[in-house]
Amino acid sequence: MLWPAFNDPVHDSQRLFRQLLQAMAEPGTLEMPRAPEPPREASIGPALWGALLTLCDLDTPLWIASELDSPALREALRFHTGCPITEDSAAAEFALLTSNSLAQGIDFSIGSDAYPNRSITLLIALEHLEASGPWQLSGPGIADRRHLDIGEADGLMARLGANRASFPRGMDAILTCNDRLVAIPRSTRVERTDQEVRPCMSP
Amino acid sequence: MNGYNFAYLDEQTKRMIRRALLKAVAIPGYQVPFGGREMPMPYGWGTGGMQLTASILGADDVLKVIDQGADDTTNAVSIRAFFERVAGVETTTATAAADVIQTRHRIPETPLEPGQILVFQVPIPEPLRFIEPSEQETRLMHALEEYGVMHVKLYEDIARYGHIATTYAYPVKVDGRYVTDPSPIPKFDNPKLHMSDALMLFGAGREKRLYAIPPHTRVESLDFEDHPFEIQAWDEHCALCGSDHSFLDEVITDDVGSRMFVCSDTDYCLLRRGEVA
Ligand SMILES: [Zn+2]
Repeated sequence: MLWPAFNDPVHDSQRLFRQLLQAMAEPGTLEMPRAPEPPREASIGPALWGALLTLCDLDTPLWIASELDSPALREALRFHTGCPITEDSAAAEFALLTSNSLAQGIDFSIGSDAYPNRSITLLIALEHLEASGPWQLSGPGIADRRHLDIGEADGLMARLGANRASFPRGMDAILTCNDRLVAIPRSTRVERTDQEVRPCMSP
Repeated sequence: MNGYNFAYLDEQTKRMIRRALLKAVAIPGYQVPFGGREMPMPYGWGTGGMQLTASILGADDVLKVIDQGADDTTNAVSIRAFFERVAGVETTTATAAADVIQTRHRIPETPLEPGQILVFQVPIPEPLRFIEPSEQETRLMHALEEYGVMHVKLYEDIARYGHIATTYAYPVKVDGRYVTDPSPIPKFDNPKLHMSDALMLFGAGREKRLYAIPPHTRVESLDFEDHPFEIQAWDEHCALCGSDHSFLDEVITDDVGSRMFVCSDTDYCLLRRGEVA
């Protein structure tokens, strides 16, 4: 069965791009894009599928983690985006992966000091994504701080937290769970706060 | 739509610019090269800003275009008419009613709101260009954070004039890392870049560079402890609305050289006059 694409590619992808831009500009805020639903048995949800349809084309090599890979996904990507699928993670512009994939020490490009933009954007499928929880985000785009719970994903957050040490080189991430997405660009400071119960500040 | 793509650019070009914009936002103040397209207007007419606007604009957006603070200059009118024609979008002169504001040389006086996007037209994106003509060298200077020359240039001003003479395109440092050209806005507008509620995108058409300042981002104007950054100030008030806090233009009112000072932001001035009346 062929995966569905946007009904109105020009305007639907524009709308979804603006949500991605908003997510990247205000890290930690949840966006709920309107995107076509992949088939029930698919390994990725509509938010991630919508991001792929919006960003990928012939110019963007995509690397796919084995746990998400399938002939149906490849066929859908080939038909709707034409993006080349690469086995060479270091040459990829986008990577499709889960929070566990990064634990396997895959080599992604984080750009150079002169061209830090020539770097990977991670597109991550999560089981859990809430705009509150133990992970504290701060930095550009965040007035004070924001919080996230992404389930069991310490390795992923450790990797994204390491961005600050390599800045301006680094990897940018779009985290998705079913119909929701959130972005953590390399400029974001990521800390674990372990605040199970947050004190109530107001009387 | 008259044989045009929506918002003029083809979808592949928009995707390329959109991907570059996401990287620009992720690396605040860093200039991302992009494969710009020719626009049906000459360079110097804001083709860089227009390409960004064309890539982000949606059919439901309300667009405002300003040039030196005014909505009614030839440049602003042409760009507004262009997007009305190729995207069918609604346009406005009211800052608060706009989703996307394309601007040349000013930031509106009315504070921007969360969700609004300000798109700057940039003639020369590289703040180090007048010190170092080589692109390769300036890229290296940014990579190594070698910004001493910029301070030397500003300090030479102080030695010569007793103050920093730069009043437009006054360089800023974004989130403590990249020295960035805020485009030729008056330094009066620099404080509005700091911790803004709105996203700010910058497009240079000739040099094919784009960069961004996300909302809620630290933006400092370069200065010295003994010569802190200061904005322009006027003894006069706006002759039309009485404002004592806007950026003022001196205009000649008749052919015998009479002069008055008025707000450069025409929408802001009209709004204030409406409220006063
Ligand atoms: Zn006025």
